[in-house]
Amino acid sequence: MRDVAVLGVGMHRFGSYYGEKPNGEMALTAGMAALRDAGLTFPDMNAAYVGHIFATVMSGVRVMKEFGLTGLPIQRIENASATGSACFREACLAVSAGHYDVAMVLGFDKMTSMIQSSSAGTAPENMEDAILPAAFFAMWATRRMHERGTKPEHLARIAAKNFNNGAMNPMSQRQPTETISVEKVLKSRMVAWPLTTMMSCPIGDGAACAIVGTPELAKKLHPDRPVVKVLASALHSERYERGHLFQGPVVGPARMSIDASREVYEQAGLGPDDLDLVQVHDAFVIEELEYYELLGLCKPGEAEACIERGDFEIGGRCPVSTDGGLIARGHPGGPTGLAQIWETTLQLRGEAGARQVKRQKTGEIARTGLCHMMGGGSVCVIHILQRS
Amino acid sequence: MAEPTRPRVPIKPGFFTVPDDPAEAPRLIGTKCLRCDEHFYPRRAICAKCLSEQTAEVEMEARGTIYSYTFVHLPLFGSTNMEHADGYGVGQIDLPEGPRVQAPLAGKQAEFQVGRQVRGELNVLRSDGAQDIVIVRFRPVEGSA
Repeated sequence: MRDVAVLGVGMHRFGSYYGEKPNGEMALTAGMAALRDAGLTFPDMNAAYVGHIFATVMSGVRVMKEFGLTGLPIQRIENASATGSACFREACLAVSAGHYDVAMVLGFDKMTSMIQSSSAGTAPENMEDAILPAAFFAMWATRRMHERGTKPEHLARIAAKNFNNGAMNPMSQRQPTETISVEKVLKSRMVAWPLTTMMSCPIGDGAACAIVGTPELAKKLHPDRPVVKVLASALHSERYERGHLFQGPVVGPARMSIDASREVYEQAGLGPDDLDLVQVHDAFVIEELEYYELLGLCKPGEAEACIERGDFEIGGRCPVSTDGGLIARGHPGGPTGLAQIWETTLQLRGEAGARQVKRQKTGEIARTGLCHMMGGGSVCVIHILQRS
Repeated sequence: MAEPTRPRVPIKPGFFTVPDDPAEAPRLIGTKCLRCDEHFYPRRAICAKCLSEQTAEVEMEARGTIYSYTFVHLPLFGSTNMEHADGYGVGQIDLPEGPRVQAPLAGKQAEFQVGRQVRGELNVLRSDGAQDIVIVRFRPVEGSA
């Protein structure tokens, strides 16, 4: 199997563009930005993988026509929130296997339009659809509070961190102009106890793109730029255990994140202590808290103490959700996992500006990053990227 | 004197029973594996534990203990029942047979606790002409806290 590198990344800022900016327009902005970043043009692409959740028939190919009609193979892949991550994985596997030298991975979605016509997505005839996603994650939080004595303040501190990280990211949907405090998060409107609006990701639209190819091509295109390699890729679905929830599979078994992270650590030949930064599926803050432990960033039961110490803030031991995460940067759907790749690639190149992560001890630019996404509680996709 | 009863129909068939007698509790319709005896809710064709195809439909009493819960501060989707306008509880209920069920809770937030016993009851979600559309909600059992 060949090594795979990220050649270029691009984004259209996540935000609420209801009634304006069709998917094609956002996708074109993100895609052209990634091509420019890579130093390539669309005819150079050997293949394209399109991540679009709320899709009509052929919408993947249709949007790709905006870039040109070059006869390249195009596939649309859907895996709920992990759609962009799953596309990225397929492109990496294809390059690694030698099928292509360079492939485009493009994700886009308009969650605002989906919500406006929401009867399609939520039928009260399905008991589980009558319950908001926030409720499922809130129950994870309630259970955690029962078992570990977690306080709403711990959850609020994660949200405040992610808002304040988002303020430093020009592509972030939520860009607060003042520092967000724990108190402000706690005072925001209650959605599903104990989760408030500011502990939940916003509804939004956007696009993100990554170009993947061989490290040799990366070096040739940009001789002076560090090469960001994809060290590991894993996709896991659920394993049955007693107590498995078959309805409303939004949260998913915790074990998926443990199993998938163990696999990527083994593939990459490293462990959680070697990570300089991490992106997770923080659609609701309780998730980020749980993933600290499930990904091995700290031991079970230690997440609260780590939060109190600021371990996962920029400047801390291992910064998490450095671009604002789903909470601030946003979560349109298809492009979300690719926004994580965008962020991690910029960080590892040392191009992340005010939010640049440096190693706590040596001050060296972050070298290794992990991207974790969940899809509908039914799949977990993890990648590890490293500057070589 | 008992109120005149309107016909009650489940929001979706195949998930719970709607007894003719309004005083009778609904039962959950699931599956049990004839080989390993694992129970599931809702129904499924193949046992998720041992993958046996030898499974049978089973009715389980709608009762158990709260594994976790929340209270959603929005109206219950699809409901015209005023009681649901200010919000609703949701719980994960562990049935004695093994399955964990996710369902709306009846009662106030202060009554919900992890480990508390709950019992299922039929609630009217909305009316549809001459009949009532019903769902199962679990209500904390008095004195079980």
